[in-house]
Formats: sequence, structure tokens, C-alpha cells
Amino acid sequence: MAKQYDVLFKLLLLGDSGVGKTCLLCRFTDNEFHSSHISTIGVDFKMKTLEIDGLKVRIQIWDTAGQERYQTITKQYYRRAQGIFLVYDITSERSFQHIMKWASDVDEYAPDQVQKILIGNKSDEDQKRQVATEQGNKLAKTYGMDFFETSACTNYNIKESFTRLTELVLQANKKELDVLRVPFGEELSVADLEEEEHQADVDNSSQKNCWC
Amino acid sequence: MFIFTHRRMAITGEDVTLDDIIPVSHNFAIVEVSSPDELAIIGADTRVRVTDSDRDLELRLPFGSHTRLFLSEVNRSWSEVCKKCPTEVPASQFEWLTKYRRSTKGTSTDSLSAVLLQTPSSRKQSGKLSLADRKGHPASVENNVDRRGRGEENRDDLVRSSSYMVSNKAQMLAMPQFGLRDNLIRSELLKKEEQYIYIKNFRFFLGTYNVNGQPPKESLQPWLGFPSDPPDIYCVGFQELDLSKEAFFFSDTPKEQEWMKAVLEGLHQDAKYAFVKLIRLVGIMLLFYVKNEHAEHISEVEAESVGTGIMGRMGNKGAVAIRFRFHNSDICVVNSHLAAHVEEFERRNQDFRDICSRIMFRQKDPGLSPLTILKHDVILWLGDLNYRICELEVDEVKNLIAKKDFETLQKFDQLRRQIKEEAVFSGFVEGEIMFQPTYKYNTGSDQWDSSEKCRVPAWCDRILWKGKQIQQLHYQSHMTLKTSDHKPVSSLMEIGIKVVNEEKYKKTFEEIVRNLDKMENECIPSVSLSGREFQFNDVKFMQEQTKILTIYNDGQVPCQFEFIQKLDESTFCKPWLMISPHQGFLAQGESVDIQLELYVNRSTATDLNSGRQQIEDILVLHLDRGKDYFISITGNYLPSCFGTSLQTLCHLREPIQDMPLETLQQLILMTSEEVSDPITEKPLDIPKEIWMMVDHLYRNASKQEDLFQQPGLRSEVGKIRDCLDTGTPDSLPGSNHSVAEALLLFLDALPEPVVCYSAYQQCLESCSNASQCKKVISSLPQCHKNVFNYLTAFLRELLKYSEYNQLDTSILATIFSAFLLRSSAKQEQAERKKTWDFLTHFLIPDHS
Repeated sequence: MAKQYDVLFKLLLLGDSGVGKTCLLCRFTDNEFHSSHISTIGVDFKMKTLEIDGLKVRIQIWDTAGQERYQTITKQYYRRAQGIFLVYDITSERSFQHIMKWASDVDEYAPDQVQKILIGNKSDEDQKRQVATEQGNKLAKTYGMDFFETSACTNYNIKESFTRLTELVLQANKKELDVLRVPFGEELSVADLEEEEHQADVDNSSQKNCWC
Repeated sequence: MFIFTHRRMAITGEDVTLDDIIPVSHNFAIVEVSSPDELAIIGADTRVRVTDSDRDLELRLPFGSHTRLFLSEVNRSWSEVCKKCPTEVPASQFEWLTKYRRSTKGTSTDSLSAVLLQTPSSRKQSGKLSLADRKGHPASVENNVDRRGRGEENRDDLVRSSSYMVSNKAQMLAMPQFGLRDNLIRSELLKKEEQYIYIKNFRFFLGTYNVNGQPPKESLQPWLGFPSDPPDIYCVGFQELDLSKEAFFFSDTPKEQEWMKAVLEGLHQDAKYAFVKLIRLVGIMLLFYVKNEHAEHISEVEAESVGTGIMGRMGNKGAVAIRFRFHNSDICVVNSHLAAHVEEFERRNQDFRDICSRIMFRQKDPGLSPLTILKHDVILWLGDLNYRICELEVDEVKNLIAKKDFETLQKFDQLRRQIKEEAVFSGFVEGEIMFQPTYKYNTGSDQWDSSEKCRVPAWCDRILWKGKQIQQLHYQSHMTLKTSDHKPVSSLMEIGIKVVNEEKYKKTFEEIVRNLDKMENECIPSVSLSGREFQFNDVKFMQEQTKILTIYNDGQVPCQFEFIQKLDESTFCKPWLMISPHQGFLAQGESVDIQLELYVNRSTATDLNSGRQQIEDILVLHLDRGKDYFISITGNYLPSCFGTSLQTLCHLREPIQDMPLETLQQLILMTSEEVSDPITEKPLDIPKEIWMMVDHLYRNASKQEDLFQQPGLRSEVGKIRDCLDTGTPDSLPGSNHSVAEALLLFLDALPEPVVCYSAYQQCLESCSNASQCKKVISSLPQCHKNVFNYLTAFLRELLKYSEYNQLDTSILATIFSAFLLRSSAKQEQAERKKTWDFLTHFLIPDHS
């Protein structure tokens, strides 16, 4: 087995209270879904390991309180994040409008190279829809973000969106990572085999392999 | 001290080269080193550090009494040097060494009897070592330089065990989390191997040939190329490749290449083979080839050798071994040449055991202990094992061979007997021998040995295996080869190899990772709280309210909790709140009660009265390496005359709590700007609250003994406060002392003291001059001036009854100056004295 190399990234879930941030997290990490809503009062996180481009990436996903009165406090967590999910609820026009406010907070408090994607959650509740997919698309485009409609309830687009943001973060941090990546030198022996086999005179190879 | 390097095995003096000479002089020191992680290994190499003025070497010496003896000898001679010449030894004494110095360095250092770990350039680092003597006396920290300086004192226990300082140990314990995770994944993958592997058969060709020092004279095809289909893997072993002295003493031999070429040409013609590894110990050589298409599945190839010849070390007898991983199976191939002679079977058994225990393959992960032969899934053992046929005469043996009665003959085979007695090759299997003994023939023929010795024919050359899923397809000798006095033997094996199903492997791997993630998430510290919102109702000035927050550790790990400050705030809670304890440690299942104590004192009252501040806060409870919890504190504060400014109070005709909050805020704004609004009524001369307290005291307490000196009751003070804040009663509740205390508290809580901060400095300057003092007072804002005059008049009144109330000027001046003349900074004693003097001017009876 090649030596494993791990990277750790911190992702942050932001959005109004009740849009389903905690549910997205639970579905992604534990594959569980609870329809009852318990407000997150504080900042919670879970770990998950993903494999991207053969690299084992560990992500720490921070779930934040969405209630307005905690917003001044949750802002201080932004600066730890490398990636941010801006989440709204497709059945709540209000939560969609607030994305602008969340996005401007992110601009103000998060690191410059932070990666963002837009999530329209609760796509399973189409009959109550207040925000058209096109609106989400349009907003995402304005901000230059990727956009996913998801459903924690039906497990739709969950893995895709988390993986996508992780990929974006990975790309954004590629320079630093390339330095750390281990050259797969240990696997070289096999590649060398063929060459040696074709050597008519085996002097060198025998020397090389003799007392190593 | 002479340091030699030598080639693989030192036999004659030419094999060793002088590498360095270290004079055992005053500067010399040799100290045993051990680092904490090595403490547990018994039998590990002894590491010593040799220092003198020119070098700092770390050497490894083999564990055991020889090393002990060596170290104590060095130590002894060093002591003698020091005894003989207690002062520095003149350099000339070691001049004789120079003749050895030529051409020492620069030779190849393939193998050193003592391994050089450090070069002189790194000697500066070795500053401090924590040294403890052998009896385990308390460690003392010494410096190398110091030790040299005081050499005489310590010489007797110079060689002693030592360890690096404690801080190193702490670093070791802080194991990187990722490394731990990798190990966990690896061990889980191993445990669940069955889920993702399947068995696939591969054919291994094993051959052994004792060539009796002969060069290859004929094609090896009849031996190596006989299987109808090309085997997947070839492991070909030779013994007595080269019997010359040169081969024995030096590791080079031209035979190696000659035989290797012969083997390459002899391999099955219908497939292409990749050469993987060669290992040779004198005349024992093992070659490993694999079919091209399988090459990518070969990994972790390691080769080792061990000599069991003369002195149990020499390479004329012994074994070479190659280990590798083929798909997911670990395979070890051993080629051994065991001790000769009929009667030496015990020696051969011993050789086998030595080979098994002494061959160690290093692992890719340096953290893992080396692999021994027996730790492999599949072990293939071939070679000239040298077991003979015993108890039969030559003729009897040859007779049985002629009859092809190998079954009877095998009963006299030493190896068969020894295996049966479980004396050797325990757990190994050998196939049925259906070929005639392979030793000893007249070279170049199929004739039995016709020399004087006329050896009894024997099955010296054998192939055995150990492991599951192994089937022997062929086991035979090859009579057509006549180069040697032995015949080559071959075995074709079908071996079930564990092959990875990539898809299932990925699934298993992901499952393991998922479980690990789950485990990790479950191990994130977690607590449950008795409440998230704490409401404090009707908070009053100087009346504490306490609520209990219970933190219960409902997680699976102990946790460290702490209230942390928020962004842009310097404290973790508002000044009117006290949290105790504000940090702590909780074991699993334990809980702790946190007191949330709300207390509004004079420094926080003013802003709460004015509404600039509310009883509102969010606490952040942080768990170390865990989540954060937000706890809301809410409440309402009942405004009080305590903590409200004189100006504001002068504008309040109603009790403060009867006023709508907005009006109150308006008043505060307005008065602070000193604007007298025509709309508002004319302000009171003095706050009615002061009048009520003073009037109460005037009427009831003029003759009260120890007035202003005896404390009141807290509960009564509270009632008085409520009375003043909610109504205008004719008399106040509580004792005289409580009213007196309430008055002092009131003055103390004033945001701006009666004598304004701005006038304070002037007061100090004019304290010796009565008229100057009066001038200062007259410059105060109207209400302050009124209050001051009113209070001093009251105090003068009290002094009239000093025979009852025991008060005198100096007592009153001392007490009241502290409340009337407050400094914004800390007061010096001399300053305090000046404030007394200042106030005294106003207490002298004839002053008015």
C-alpha cells in the first residue's frame, strides 16, 4: 500500500435557521435524517474522510446556529473555514433573500481565498417551492459559485455537493499540497523490472541487487 | 581507541581498514546513550557516544558481555591515563599515532562494526544530557564541557546509562493523529482481508542445484524448461557456486554472472520473464524471476542472508532468502546449504533453527518490527540440506535404488526421520520422492561416486513448503545434467495466491474509513446542558441573583470545558455576571454545577439605569477539540436611584421606577448636556432620595450611638432602596444604621461624586485654606453644591450631639471625605489626608 497522505480542510455551513444545515451534515456524515427540527444553538462539527484524486482528504464540517441573534458570534468562526456552504430553503423565499446578507458577511469575515457553493435544500418539497431552480442558478452565477439543489430527506445531491466543495478547496490549495504529496517512489521496483530483463548483459543489475 | 571498518565478513587482516584513531586522553569520554523509546528492547544494540576534542561519534555495539567488557576496559584505561598525569596530556604523547593516520579515511564503509551515526559537524548539539549513573541515582544535568573539566571526580562511572531529557519523552507521546489513523486502517484491512480477496492459483517453479564449484557447461533447459506450460514464477537456488578461496574471502565471483546467464537462457522459452532479485552468500545464490505480466503485482521485495559456517557466522554454509509480496500474499523463498557429513544431522537441525531466527527482513514501515521467515503466508524452502541416508551400507542403498524402492529407502532418510521426530522443519511438507538420490555422482556422468570415500548416495537436494493452498505438481531430479556431483532438483507448485478484488477492496476500505469517521465523530467531546436560556427577572441594585447551569458530559471521552470570549470582547461575560467555575475538566458521565451569579454594583449600575446596557449576554461554552455551545442570559433591571446622577435625580419628582424608560433616558441625555429645557419643570434643589434619608436620620438618629460606624442590615438596606425607588413614604424602614449605610452606598454609587471629579484636584490644592475651599464648592454645578451644603449642614448638626452619638469632626471627615471627594484614580495616603482636611473646614460648627 502506498503511503497514505492526509489533508484536513474545514468547511462551514451557513444559512438561516431551519434551512436544514444540521440535516445536510447528518445525512452526509452518518447517513441519517430526522425530520424534527431542533435549532442548533452553538457550533457543532463532524469529521468525514473523502477520497479525491487518490488523495485522502479529511474534512471537518462546522454546523452553525442560524438564528439571527447568534450571528454576531458565529461570524468569528468564518475565518477558520476554507470552504463555505451557503444554504437556503427552496420553500422559503426569505431564506433565499438572506443569502445576500450571508454572502456579504462571508466576504467580510472569511479568508480571501475561501471557496463557496450555493445550496438550495429541501428539493423534495417541490409542492411548497417558493424559489425556482432558475433563481438559485442565477444567484449562484452572480456570485460565481456552483449551485446544487439538495434534499437531506431523500439524500439527493448530498455527497455530490460536499465532494464538489472539497474539490474546490483542494484546487485552491493545490500549490501547498503538491509540495507535500509523496512521490510514489516505493512502487518503483516494478517499473525497473522490465528494463533489467532486456539487458543482454546482466552485470549491472546483479551488482545493484547483490548487497542491498 | 582504533576504529576499523570491514567488508561484509572479516576473515583476514586485509578485510579490515583502519577508519579512525581516538586517543584515550583527558578529553576523551565514552557514555552510553539510550533514548526513551528504546528502553523496552532487551538485547538491542548498545549505543555509546564517544567524544574527544575533535569528534563526537555515536556507535552501536552488539548487546552482550563483550560490549560490557570493552566499555569497562576503555573506562579503566582512561582512568589510568588521568591518574598518571592529572593535568592535560601534552599532545606529543600521542604523536606516535600519526603513522597510523595515513590513508585511513576514504575507504568504502559498506558495513562498519560500529556504525557511524553522527559526523563531527553535529557535535555542538550534544550539549546537555541528563545523566544518571548505573545504580539509578537521581539524574543530574551536566554539560559535556563541564564533565571534561572535572574529569577526575567522575571517572569511575563514566560509562553509564543516560537518557535524553524528559521533554523528549513528552514529544514522543504526542503521536501524530494521522499516523495512528493509518495504522488503524491498515490493521482493519488485514482483519477484513477475506472480504476483498479471492484465491487464484499460480505456478511456481522451484529449483535447487549444488554445482560443486563448476562453471555452467551445458544448457539448463532440461531442468528449468521442462514444464509444458511456462511457470509464473521461478526461484532458482544454487550451492557451491564457487569453491575458490577468493569467493570465500571476498564476495566477488565471476560465477555469479555465468550462472545467472545460464539460468536466464534456461527459463521456459514460451514466456518472457523479468528478473526481480538476486542474493548470494559466498556460494549460495538465489535468483527470482517473474513472468512479465505479473511483475506489477510483486512488491516489498527484500533479500537477506545468514552464515552458519565456521564460528556460526561464515558464509560457506548458511542461507539466503528473498521475501516478496505477490498480489496480497507474503511469500518467502529460502535457499540453504546446511552442514555436511552423515553424522552431523543435529548440526543441520541447528542450522535450520539459526536461519529461521536470524534472518530478519526489514519492513517498509520502520515502526514495524522486522519480519522473520516463519511470519509469511507461504514459505518455500529449497537447497542442499545435506541430510543423508543412514544405517544402510552403500550396497544396500544402491540395491534399493536399482529396484526403485524409494519407499523403503526413504525410511532411512535423516530428514524424513528428523521431521517425524519434530526436530526440524516443523509444519513443513515435502512431496513424495520418486527420484533417485541426487548425490553423489562422478562429475560428468550418471555414475555413483567411485572415489575412495565412496559416499553413500543421498537425497541431499530437497524442496519443502509451508502454507495453505499449495499443491505440488512435480517433484523430480534431472539426471541429464552432468556438470556437478549433484543432480539438480525441481518442484513445480501450484500455489493459491490471495488476489485483491479491486471493487470489493474499495468497498471494504470505504467501510473502514466510514467506521473510523463514525468512531471519531462519536469521540468528539460532547456535553448536555441543563438550560440554554437563563432569565434573570427584576434585577435590583446590589442584590445578587444566582442560577445554576449543570454541565453533564454525555460524550464518550473526558472533556475540558471553558467559557471563551467572543470576537471584539475582552472578557467571556459582561461585568455584572460572574461564572464559577469558568473552566474545568469533566470525565465521562460526570457533571458539574456552574454558578451564574448576577450582581449589579456601582460600576455597572449607571449604564443599566440609563438603559444604555441591558441584562443581555450570550456565553460561549467551548469544549476543547469539540463543539461550542451558546448560552443566552436575559433579564430586566429595575432602575434605581443608586447609580443615577444627581442631576437626573433632581429632575425626577416621581420615584424612578414610576418613570417610563424613555423619559428616563431623555432626562439623562438632556442633563448630561446641561440643557435646561423650558418644557420640563424646574428641577428639585436636591434629590428627594437624599432628603428622605437625611431627614430620616436627622429626625431619628441624631443621638444614635456609633452612627455611620456600625453596619446596617443588608436586607433592610434592600428595603430602603425599594422604598426610595418606588415611592415617597414619610419614613423609611429599617434601623438607623441601615439608613445611614444606605446613604453612604447612595453617595458611593453616584456616577459623578458630590464634589465633581473635575474639582477634585482644586480641593487638594486648597485644603489648607478654608475660604479657598468654600470657593471650590461654590463653583460646583447647582445640584452638587446644594447636596454638598445640605450634607455638611446635616453633619454639623450631628456633631452637636456628639456626647450621645460619639461622633467627632475627624471621624465624620474621614468617613464622608471618602464618599464626597472621590478620585478617578487611586488615592495616595497623603491625598486622603488632604481630603479630610478639606472636609473638616466644613464641619467646624462656627463655619456656618
